[in-house]
Amino acid sequence: MKENNQQDILDSLQSKEYEYGFTSDIESTMLPVGLSEDIVRAISARKDEPEWLTEYRLKAYRHFLTLSVPTWAHLDIPPIDFQKIIYYAEPKLKKPLGSMDEVDPELKRTFDKLGIPLEEQMALAGVAVDAVLDSVSVKTTFRETLAQKGIIFCSISEAVREHPELVRKYLGSVVSYADNFYAALNAAVFSDGSFCYIPKGVRCPMELSTYFRINARGTGQFERTLIVADEGAYVSYLEGCTAPQRDENQLHAAVVEIVVERDAEVKYSTVQNWYPGDKEGRGGVYNFVTKRGICHENARLSWTQVETGSAITWKYPSCVLAGDNAVGEFYSVAMTNNYQQADTGTKMIHLGRNTRSRIVSKGISAGQSQNAYRGLVKIAPKAENARNYSQCDSLLIGDKCGAHTFPHIDCRNRTAMLEHEATTSKISEEQLFYCNQRGISTEDAVGLIVNGYAREVLAKLPMEFAVEAQKLLAISLEGSVG
Amino acid sequence: MANGQQLKMLSVKNLHASVGDKQILKGINLEVKAGEVHAIMGPNGSGKSTLASVLAGSEKFTVTAGEVTYMGEDLLQLSIEERARKGLFLGFQYPVEIPGVTMANFMKIAVNEKRKAQGLEPLTAAEFLRMMREKSAIVELDSKLTARAVNEGFSGGEKKKNEIFQMAMLEPKLAILDETDSGLDIDALRIVATGVTRLKTPENATVVITHYQRLLDYIVPDYVHVLYKGRIIYSGDKSLALKLEKEGYDWLINDYRE
Amino acid sequence: MTIAEYIASEAIESFKGGVVDSSTDTSHPLVVLNPKSFKMELQQGIKAQLVIACTSSVTASVEVSLAEGVVLDIVELYAADSIVKVTVHQAESSALSTFSALLSSSHVSYTHALEGRGATNRFNALFVATGAEHQTIELNTRHLVPDCSSNSLIKGIAAGRATGEFRGLVYVAPDAQRTDAQQQNRNIQLDNAQIVALPQLEIYADDVRCSHGSTVGYEDAEVLYYMRQRGIDAATARRLQVEGFVQEVVMRCNMEPLCGIVREAVSDKMSQI
Repeated sequence: MKENNQQDILDSLQSKEYEYGFTSDIESTMLPVGLSEDIVRAISARKDEPEWLTEYRLKAYRHFLTLSVPTWAHLDIPPIDFQKIIYYAEPKLKKPLGSMDEVDPELKRTFDKLGIPLEEQMALAGVAVDAVLDSVSVKTTFRETLAQKGIIFCSISEAVREHPELVRKYLGSVVSYADNFYAALNAAVFSDGSFCYIPKGVRCPMELSTYFRINARGTGQFERTLIVADEGAYVSYLEGCTAPQRDENQLHAAVVEIVVERDAEVKYSTVQNWYPGDKEGRGGVYNFVTKRGICHENARLSWTQVETGSAITWKYPSCVLAGDNAVGEFYSVAMTNNYQQADTGTKMIHLGRNTRSRIVSKGISAGQSQNAYRGLVKIAPKAENARNYSQCDSLLIGDKCGAHTFPHIDCRNRTAMLEHEATTSKISEEQLFYCNQRGISTEDAVGLIVNGYAREVLAKLPMEFAVEAQKLLAISLEGSVG
Repeated sequence: MANGQQLKMLSVKNLHASVGDKQILKGINLEVKAGEVHAIMGPNGSGKSTLASVLAGSEKFTVTAGEVTYMGEDLLQLSIEERARKGLFLGFQYPVEIPGVTMANFMKIAVNEKRKAQGLEPLTAAEFLRMMREKSAIVELDSKLTARAVNEGFSGGEKKKNEIFQMAMLEPKLAILDETDSGLDIDALRIVATGVTRLKTPENATVVITHYQRLLDYIVPDYVHVLYKGRIIYSGDKSLALKLEKEGYDWLINDYRE
Repeated sequence: MTIAEYIASEAIESFKGGVVDSSTDTSHPLVVLNPKSFKMELQQGIKAQLVIACTSSVTASVEVSLAEGVVLDIVELYAADSIVKVTVHQAESSALSTFSALLSSSHVSYTHALEGRGATNRFNALFVATGAEHQTIELNTRHLVPDCSSNSLIKGIAAGRATGEFRGLVYVAPDAQRTDAQQQNRNIQLDNAQIVALPQLEIYADDVRCSHGSTVGYEDAEVLYYMRQRGIDAATARRLQVEGFVQEVVMRCNMEPLCGIVREAVSDKMSQI
């Protein structure tokens, strides 16, 4: 972004301020296209945010102006005009469909394959759910159970209003707005997201899923998630769902921050199945995500992700192992088909003594896709007896795709033991022949073999999620063989 | 065999040991005198290998109770290498590979460390080579192997022969052989067992840990002990091994099931 | 004996490069001392041995082309701070075997391009960085055509306040099917040193066997226990492990008497640890 261009745009927007009158017109559902300080202020005003948060956004925005788009990833990203994006829109309410018969048959077929219960299918497809499922009461019961334990689980906007002291303490404490281009953008314009706080010593009795969170849908392109597990707390958090998610917003830049206090444990599981574009590589979501957690003494953070969607994935869920004996884990299956591109991995930053980390990454590339693992394992001078084990495997399906591994090891303590291994393989003719001979179709055989290959990671997912993820892998591969 | 005149070599009393929170040895009692051969048998997971490791001083295990006297000394106070230099030898079930360190160099250091502890001069290169040649013949170890890195690229049988070769080199007072027979074909078993028998003298003792009676056809034990759930539940003479081979452990362990 | 003494004692003339064909005397190793810009073209079927030694600081570029069926062994020794770029082109069925030892603050980057079917490439290298040195080995093994194989072992030790760095890349071009590429990197870090490793794979063909591994740290608790059980104290056992670590790659140098000199230089360097 050239400085003078930027200034021109800012000037032109400022000169039009009164024309649009967006400072007073808080009733409109959309802000004008483009990005400026006024837009940032307007987003904050629209959400009735306190001054400190407006200032935080502005600081982030000013910093964003000094940054340029990162180009180091193994991705071919078409130029994105950040002034052509609408940075704030109220959740668009589509007209609910009358019944399941009105749902796109292709979508319905996928739901059936995934084995999603009818009620959920309707909810996901946008059928008026109240008729079949009393969602309000489900959510209310859910919230009551959590409230009894003192657990806060709400949208981040709500948290800003209801628990400003917690948000102010932790927001930006793990992922600074200065962290990278997309994190700065997110900090300036984040629309909404989830907030979760587990008090000291509390074990969250259920898996927290974004699916159950009120206003979970329509959080927009710039989602912000903040999870805090106070001392000795435990929570398992599920993001996304296995059903295909279509979104008209092409650019997504989310930030997830996790604070794992002393003796606490957080499991964060993601199934990402955004629209990947069509078979010719047209359309699809660009997903630039910054996810990071900090682990204090004896804390444990485990990231598990199944990435099958998006045209472009740029995502490195990371762990800062700040306290002694902290443990960080990263389990990932990233599948790309057709023209998808993924550059994903993790960073394990060992600062404390006896810190341990484990990385298991399984890449699957098919079609014309490019799939890269990128990782950093860093051992600081004071991280005595740190241990890391990394295993990064790639499976290639077809001869037009690419599989890449870019690990970076930086070790500054002599007592550390680090081990990285990577292999590349393909599904062999012999394996397919063997399955065929036993009466299994090639497509099913590929599904079987791929699931076997990804098993170590899938096993880390909560049970029902794992079953769906398995089916999802098979579906995402459709048409990639034979 | 066993009479009061013999030198008491090893005395284990009420030995308890654990790994992490898991108690594995739950009160072992065992007396071994010079000139004796003891066999320790028992089903998988009964604690046989743990006993061997604890006696050798492995830091994986924590001794939680009991005492062990070896040659009149408190064994548990000694470091791994002190125990070794005082003549305690452990033949490993899974000998590790040590890349880049040749067998010859490794053994030379080990032999001379032991001699130093005994107040002896180190061997000259010629004396050492002669010793290597003599001892490798005992287990029919291919002399080329001594030029290779320790255990690296050795077959399963070669690794076990190599353990007995090292035993011959170090001339231990008490040799504990942990499943030395596992994974050996019949020829290798004969060679290993014959090697052990040839190294037997009235001054040393051998504790053989094994699953199968077949090794005991070659190394005839004076005593056979059955280890189960961390305790020696039955002791007998060599006929016990034959009975176990025929009838299994069920008749013995029924009373001990939890 | 140092490499310089050896060259002086044998009255070896530094090889100037150019075309190597059947008229060139290849009965003894061709020795290149402190190159600047060195080019060499080996004609079809030639078997030769090449020694590259840097005994004074140089900034150099070395380019070697192997025609069909050429068999070339290279031994490289960096005893003085140098920046060297080595580029090798390999035609069909050629075989290259490299042994390289960095014993000074050098940065040596290799680009090995396998351009003809059936080419094989073996690469063994060692760096030993002490004091405040910064040593870097870069290895870019490029499989550009089908049916080639490469096998690399890079070992590094950094001690004192030194930094040792390995940057590896195995590149497999589209259609370079049936590639077999193995790259192993092992490092030991002592004192307050730093190890940086970036072993990378970039693969655009599916019928391949590619793997890499990279480790930092050497203390194998099992090995330590085994050695102590044989009466060797912990300090000696650790030293033996470090020596064994180096020996494993040094033993792969087999161009006598050069390798004797290399071994001596390595053990001199090791004594600084």
